[in-house]
Amino acid sequence: MAAKNNYVPHHVMVVDTNRCIGCWTCAVACKEVNNEPLGYFWNRVLTTAPNQSTTAKAPASDNLDVPWGTYPNCELAYLPVACQQCNDAPCVKVCPVQATFRRDDGTVLIDYNRCIGCRYCMAACPYGVRIFNWGDATYAPGGVVGYGKEYSTGGRLVFTPERPKGVVEKCTFCVERIDVGELPFCVEACPMGARIFGDLNDPESQVSEFVNNGGAEQLHPELGTNPNVYYLPVARRVPGES
Amino acid sequence: MATTTAALPARATRTVRPIWAWYAALVALMAWGLGAWIDELHYGLAATGMRDVVSWGMYIFTFAFFIGLSAGGLIMASSAEVFGIKALRPLSRLGVLSAAACVAVAALMIIPDLGQPFRVINIFIHPNWTSPLIWDILIITIYFVFSVVDLYLLQRHAAEPSRWRNVVRVLAYVGLPTAILLHSVTAWIFGLQIARSWWNTSLMAPLFVVSAVLSGTALVTLLALCAERYGKIELAEDTRRWLRGFITVSLIIDLFFVGCDYITVLWGNVPSDRSALNLVLPGGPWAWLFWVEWIVGGVIPLAFLVVPRLKKLPGALGLASVLVIVGVYAFRIELVVLGFINPLTQYPPGNAVGTYNPQTSSFQLVGRYHPTWIEYGIVIGLVALFAALVTIGYKSLHVMGPSPDAKHREEPAAAVGKAAS
Repeated sequence: MAAKNNYVPHHVMVVDTNRCIGCWTCAVACKEVNNEPLGYFWNRVLTTAPNQSTTAKAPASDNLDVPWGTYPNCELAYLPVACQQCNDAPCVKVCPVQATFRRDDGTVLIDYNRCIGCRYCMAACPYGVRIFNWGDATYAPGGVVGYGKEYSTGGRLVFTPERPKGVVEKCTFCVERIDVGELPFCVEACPMGARIFGDLNDPESQVSEFVNNGGAEQLHPELGTNPNVYYLPVARRVPGES
Repeated sequence: MATTTAALPARATRTVRPIWAWYAALVALMAWGLGAWIDELHYGLAATGMRDVVSWGMYIFTFAFFIGLSAGGLIMASSAEVFGIKALRPLSRLGVLSAAACVAVAALMIIPDLGQPFRVINIFIHPNWTSPLIWDILIITIYFVFSVVDLYLLQRHAAEPSRWRNVVRVLAYVGLPTAILLHSVTAWIFGLQIARSWWNTSLMAPLFVVSAVLSGTALVTLLALCAERYGKIELAEDTRRWLRGFITVSLIIDLFFVGCDYITVLWGNVPSDRSALNLVLPGGPWAWLFWVEWIVGGVIPLAFLVVPRLKKLPGALGLASVLVIVGVYAFRIELVVLGFINPLTQYPPGNAVGTYNPQTSSFQLVGRYHPTWIEYGIVIGLVALFAALVTIGYKSLHVMGPSPDAKHREEPAAAVGKAAS
């Protein structure tokens, strides 16, 4: 779809937090398809209150799945967070060697062969989604290898199943899958269908509908990073109100 | 002049053995640092205490600290010319020597922090001009080259004052803004980042400049006091007074700036800002930084600098210099580490750590950081390199000016004295 007659889509993901049940299937599926070593999470599911940004409210607990409030007035929601694929990405701005770059479809990628491992991007990212290869990677014994091949786009190596030491990596929107018209694996794996992926340039697409008319919100919009990942707020009645 | 010339033969005979012991100790420490780096190359940065939550550590705050130390010398040497402070002129060459050594060590400090140090060439092949890191590399290079050239020309000036007079003056006028730019750009590495509110303040550059003047002047003071102790060179009372003045004023401004930052966060009470400050305020897990910064490196040295009874004590200036350097180092730790420890994400489970340890969670909500011996080894090795560079420079260049008394009289006379010695 992407390669035909030079049409460049604008890839966008919408996460419907109404549907997210906090099962971590997306995080595990991500680990499998991308062969992420132990201790790496490109994608993770935060336990939050409904419609809270990542820093607005103190957590109810340090542990997962603990709701706010006292019974029966409890509230609980989940926020799956991976790279937000910002259109105006701080990581792209700070990378001294242009190893992190934004592709025309809006996807932010890292060149494994160019990164010098200075980790300035990790300091600059407001979402804390970047992972560094600190040492020799440990893989889960008998784990699924997933895609299992190297992938390059525009002559730059943006995925490799065997991680080199000393470079930064992160969610790629499953670039090797979207380039052949497949969905990112977390979108395919989500049992609740909470993740919707599509082309924002196509006004008929589902994501266009959510972003333009459906009230989809970005994480930390006040920072001006303009992410390509949107969240549909939890529609619910506030406990205690009629 | 008499003191200097009289001291020379004594130094030549008496201090031969201690100086070789000193060099041997430095070489041993540098070898330790090199060994630690080779170890780190083998295991990767997993050998350090850094992980994905606190992803910059000792290398970066020591880098920022050495950049700061490099200020004093050049600013002092330039001030001597630009503002006509004659009393500081004898310290010009010592100052510029320490500036060059500090900035070289700071640049080297970045290398072990890189995950792929052998790809550092990419910085020159594919520079990204929007990155403050590229600006910093540029200004560090300029500053280093400038310091070396300045040192060379100051050497020539000491030999032939009348011929090099104007060149040295022009260099002083270039040196002052270069030094200020170096600290501002280093501050912007942190200050421009929107991600971490602890860093994102326009106060960062002024704060870096003033803490650089503070720690840098204290360092040059210490080196001058060492030269006085071991080189039998007398520091004029006027020189001491200017050094004390520089340190006092910059210490007060430094504490004022940090205080301004604290009051802004406390009054505003924005949760993400407050959670960072709470880590360092008394009662927080990093409160020791607060005490080192405000009491050990603030109130106590201030007392030794301004209280008439205390500042008359023989070691007062040296003690105050050591303490403010310790205080500025604590500030650098506070700046870098707390920026990372303060959680970007308040919600459990927080951020992934990036390595596997069966005993602990792969996630951290609030960051943790303890440097490992690899990091201590490399940093200590580079500090030893700094000491070696300064010692060698001091020995081979005779960077202490002729005694200030002679300097005050007439420049050619000093030059003759120099040539005779």
